[in-house]
Amino acid sequence: MDVQKPGRMNAADTRESSATVARARAGDAEAWGDLYRDYAPAIFRFCRRALPTREDAEDATMEIFMKIRDKLNQYDASRPFSAWLYRVAANHCWDMLRRRKIRQDKETDDFETVPLEHPDPSQLDQLIERRTSEEVRKALDKLGARARMALVLRYYSDMSYDEIADALGVRRAFVGVVLLRARHELRGALEGTGAMAAGGAR
Amino acid sequence: MSMSSPPGSNQGSGKGDGMEHLDEMSCMLYLEGQLDRARAMEVSNHTQTCSACRTLLRAIERESRLLTRAMLEEEEPLPARIVTFQEKVHRSMQWIWMVTFGLAATAIYAMYTGYIEPWEQRLEQAGFGGTSLLSMLIFQGSFWKGWQSMLSLVEVLALVTIAGFAAFVLRKRFRRGSAVALVLASLGAAFSMPAPAAATEVRKGQAVEVRKDEVIKGNVFLSGKRVEVLGTVDGDVFAAGKDIEIDGHITGDLISAGRTVWIRGQVDGNVRSAGNTVTVVGKVGKNISYFGDTVAIDAKGSVDGSVMMFGSEVNIAGRLGRDVLFAGDRLFVNGTVGGSIDQKGSELEIGSSAQVDGAVRMEGEKEPVVSSGAKLASPVQFTKHVERHQEFGKRSGVWAGFLAAAFVLFGLVLFRVMPQFSLDATRAAESYGASIGLGVLVMFAVPIASLIACVTFVGLFVGLSTFVLWLIALYAAQTVVGTVIGQWILGRTTDIWGRIGRMALGVVLIRAVTLIPHGGWIKLAVLLWGMGAISLALYRRFQPPAMVPPAYLPPPLAPGASAPAV
Repeated sequence: MDVQKPGRMNAADTRESSATVARARAGDAEAWGDLYRDYAPAIFRFCRRALPTREDAEDATMEIFMKIRDKLNQYDASRPFSAWLYRVAANHCWDMLRRRKIRQDKETDDFETVPLEHPDPSQLDQLIERRTSEEVRKALDKLGARARMALVLRYYSDMSYDEIADALGVRRAFVGVVLLRARHELRGALEGTGAMAAGGAR
Repeated sequence: MSMSSPPGSNQGSGKGDGMEHLDEMSCMLYLEGQLDRARAMEVSNHTQTCSACRTLLRAIERESRLLTRAMLEEEEPLPARIVTFQEKVHRSMQWIWMVTFGLAATAIYAMYTGYIEPWEQRLEQAGFGGTSLLSMLIFQGSFWKGWQSMLSLVEVLALVTIAGFAAFVLRKRFRRGSAVALVLASLGAAFSMPAPAAATEVRKGQAVEVRKDEVIKGNVFLSGKRVEVLGTVDGDVFAAGKDIEIDGHITGDLISAGRTVWIRGQVDGNVRSAGNTVTVVGKVGKNISYFGDTVAIDAKGSVDGSVMMFGSEVNIAGRLGRDVLFAGDRLFVNGTVGGSIDQKGSELEIGSSAQVDGAVRMEGEKEPVVSSGAKLASPVQFTKHVERHQEFGKRSGVWAGFLAAAFVLFGLVLFRVMPQFSLDATRAAESYGASIGLGVLVMFAVPIASLIACVTFVGLFVGLSTFVLWLIALYAAQTVVGTVIGQWILGRTTDIWGRIGRMALGVVLIRAVTLIPHGGWIKLAVLLWGMGAISLALYRRFQPPAMVPPAYLPPPLAPGASAPAV
């Protein structure tokens, strides 16, 4: 099954899915089943990236689809369905994480300050080049909830900065900061020591 | 390419003017298209000349791509729970199908008990000549008896399940439900209608006629309050109306529904009709099959074939070429019958000018009256009607086996469709007291409630669907209890097939136990217990802490809910 990202769907897909959405809204259970089949894999993977355990991701996927089902009439059909879907998913996962206060583990409250460390370009380049997807996924697991969520929203769901700001409840101007900090955290995790910053000067 | 940059070169505390190196934030925002035009130009210009910043930019871009790739990769398969949930979402509609099936089956059952069974009971004595394959298949006793005893209310569901199962299988073939609906509808139509040949002409109106000098080649559909065929139809006539009169000539069949049908002309084929009366003054080349009140063959009329009739009265004053097969009240014969007479009914009267060339068999309440002048090939064989009870089946081992298999099949479908719920129900069944207590309540309260719903404002549909769901639960009760019993014997398991195996064992045991004398009480206990367990599981499922993730899609109980709430 291919994973679809909202930004990467072609026009035909979008047209087709909007027709399906319209039918599902009208109460066509068959269309609803189609929507699930088309989007559940992507949403599951989204949850898998954003949430700490596989079980969480499974639960969340099902909950999200139940929410979607109830809220389908709130969906603005003039906008891409998948974007809306991801927004619901993002809100759900973020709420879930907040409820559990997972973010307390690693989250610092000063996310609005720009990271002070700066990487050495060539060292960064090498670090990135040597890493496999697998390692990146492992590193993602070690990140704080906000950092992780921000990266998932941006680089998996292809959300805009506005949407990310909305989903995470931060000001639009600080989305970049959150993302950059998240990258730093990720590099630290990839290094295993957080020594990435050492390459940079203050 | 990876040139190492001089230490301290990549600092970005100043919001980089052209001369200083770019800071990382600017690079990232630049790559993500978040910089305003002027700043983006600066970044772009700077990287033209500064290889260190080019490297940084490239590294950040690579990082983005690496992130996307890492997150998009499917390193693990989609969990079964998600997939089955998906099927369940997909199947949510199939519950509507099940309900539809249930309703249809109930309707068929009601029709059967209301109309077909009374006739069929009158006919059950074998011996009707093989007038048609249909009558032989359907009405000849031995073949039918098993079905008859099966059609007690609960057993109907066995058939429904199998039909539902067939629908599941069918649905794998057709992606769209409408396709299945189409198939089912056309099947239904195929059963209820004689194959409409390439129909040509359709006439509608208050009074419709085929004029005297008119010749119609091919079939014709006529409908109106009054339908008259004065001319010639070289084909079949399908007629519907209050009064249907055939004064002309029909070379094919006459298939009609109407209050009265008069045949004064000639029909070369069969007359198949439903309505109030059919009177033949003219000529019918083949047979008459009639569902209705009266068939009369006038003294001047003749029918070359036989008469098969379900209704109240047959009156033969004219000539009939072959047999009479009659299930109904009264039969009067004062004309010629070329074949035999078989009647199941109350009265038979054979007049003085009658002639019957075949045997006369009559089963009914009253002794037939035969006039002394009547010419009969053999004396009337009269069987006094005695109510007999069909005892085939429920006691016979084969039948019990079949039913047990149907139950297991039903359970299997249930477990596959709602694994989580079946697990919950089984767990609920393990709290015996609560289950049985609730079972007593639900068992008796729900039918009453649905009856009230049927007769009051809530409406027939709600009442009927509730009742059907109740019936399904009643049926499912045995599979739930079967699972518990299976678990007593084989131990617990969470594996779905393990549970299905335990369910099968338990169901077979329950079926076996209910066969012994006084098994009825055990059955009742099983039903109460299982019913209660299902209700308990449902109750728990809809308990307020709705934040608990329901691991399956909500409930068969709300078929309408499969549509998103609007």
